[in-house]
Amino acid sequence: MGLGGLAIFMAGMWAMILAVAAFLVIFVAPIDVIMFDRQAGQLAVSAVQAAIAIIAVIALVFGLSKMKRIYMQRKLGQ
Amino acid sequence: MLDVANLLIYGAAVSAISFFAILLLMPAAIRSLAAKGRVVPDAHKRDKPMIPRPAGPVIMAGIAAGEIVLYLLTLNTAVLAVLLSTAIAFAVGYVDDSRVMPGWFKPVALLAAAVPLVALDLYAGGVHGDSLNLVFGSAFIPLLYIPLIFVIIPIAGNTINSIDVLNGVASGFIIIATIPLLTSILIFGSHEVFLAALPLLFAAVAFYKYHKFPSRIFPGDSGTLLLGVMYGALAIAGSSEIIGVIALLPAVMNSFLFLASVKRIVEHRQVKARPTILMDDFKLAASTDKAAPATLLRLIVAEEPLGEKEVGYKIFKLAAFTALLAFASIAIQYFIMRL
Repeated sequence: MGLGGLAIFMAGMWAMILAVAAFLVIFVAPIDVIMFDRQAGQLAVSAVQAAIAIIAVIALVFGLSKMKRIYMQRKLGQ
Repeated sequence: MLDVANLLIYGAAVSAISFFAILLLMPAAIRSLAAKGRVVPDAHKRDKPMIPRPAGPVIMAGIAAGEIVLYLLTLNTAVLAVLLSTAIAFAVGYVDDSRVMPGWFKPVALLAAAVPLVALDLYAGGVHGDSLNLVFGSAFIPLLYIPLIFVIIPIAGNTINSIDVLNGVASGFIIIATIPLLTSILIFGSHEVFLAALPLLFAAVAFYKYHKFPSRIFPGDSGTLLLGVMYGALAIAGSSEIIGVIALLPAVMNSFLFLASVKRIVEHRQVKARPTILMDDFKLAASTDKAAPATLLRLIVAEEPLGEKEVGYKIFKLAAFTALLAFASIAIQYFIMRL
C-alpha cells in the first residue's frame, strides 16, 4: 500500500472531520431554535450543545480507532 | 483591516526580521551549545554524532523580534496574545530541555500557554471570536469556546513535539502546514493575525536550513512546543481552527496512534518497546514487537526499511497531501460563504 494507504487513511480522517463539522453546524448550532424554540437560557443551550458536541467527538474518535485497527491489521498484522 | 500597501510592507518587514534573525544567530548558538557540552547523540546515524540542542531560544528570539515590531506597528491585541502564548510554550519546553520531567508535565503546563489568548480577549477583546469556524458555517458558542482553547493549545504543542522524531521533520512539517493556515487566516481571519503568522513560516524556513538532514542542531522541546503552540494560537486567533487541524493531520494521526497504543500520556523515552529498529545499514525498519506503539514512522517503514532522509521526505509528501485537503476545505468554505 505504501504512502497511498496512509493517504487514504488521512482522506478518511478528513472526511470524518468534515462530517462532524457539518453535523455540528446543521444540527447543534441552531439547537436553541430546534429544541427550545428560543425559550431557554444561554447556559442551558450551551450545556446541551456541549453534551452533543462531546458525544460527536467521542463518536469521531471511536470511528478513527476502528479505522486504525483495520489499517494496523493490514499493515502490521496487529 | 490594513490596506494592501501596509499589508505588504509590514509583511515583508516581520518576515525578514524573523528569517534573518534566526539565519544569522543560529551558527553562533550551535557553537555556543557545543562549547558548553549541551549536545545529544543523533541516534539514527553511524557513530552517533553529538548534536547541539536546543535551538528553541534562537527560534523564540527570531519570532519575538518579528512579533514585537508588528505589535508596535499595529497595537493589535491578538498579536500580543499570540506572542505571549508562544513565549509561555517556549518556557515550558525550556524547563523540559533542562531537566527530565514526567510525562504529564508538558500537557498540563501548556494549559498556561492558553491563558494569554483568553485573558487578553476578556480584557481588551479582539483576540478570538465567540464562534467556532466549522467550514460549513460557524457555531456561536461563547461559553464553550474558552474551554476549547484550553484543549487546543496543549494538543497543538504536543502534536508538533511528538513528530520531532527525525532530522528536519518538525521544521519542514510546520513549513508545509503553515501555508494553508496562512491562506485560511487571510480569507476568513484578519490581516493582523495573517501578519502575525508570517514569522512562524519564515522562522521555520530559516531553522530548516540547520535542522534538515543531516541536522546541525535540534530544536529541543522548547523549539517544538513553541512552534506547535504558535500554530494553534494563530488558528484560534485567525478563525481557522478546523483548517488548522486538517493541515496538521499527519502529526495528529501520529499522536492519535501513539496514545491509542499506549493508552496513557507518557514521554516517548518511557516506552520500553520501540516502534522502529535501526538496522546494520542504518535503515529504519518497523518493529515486530506486538507491545511496540503504533506511530506514523512505524507505518511508513512497515513495508520496507528506509533511510532517515527517505522517511523524512515521505512525511513531507503526506504533509503536502493534507495541505491539499486543507486547501480543498478552504475552497468548500469559500464557496459556501458566497452562496
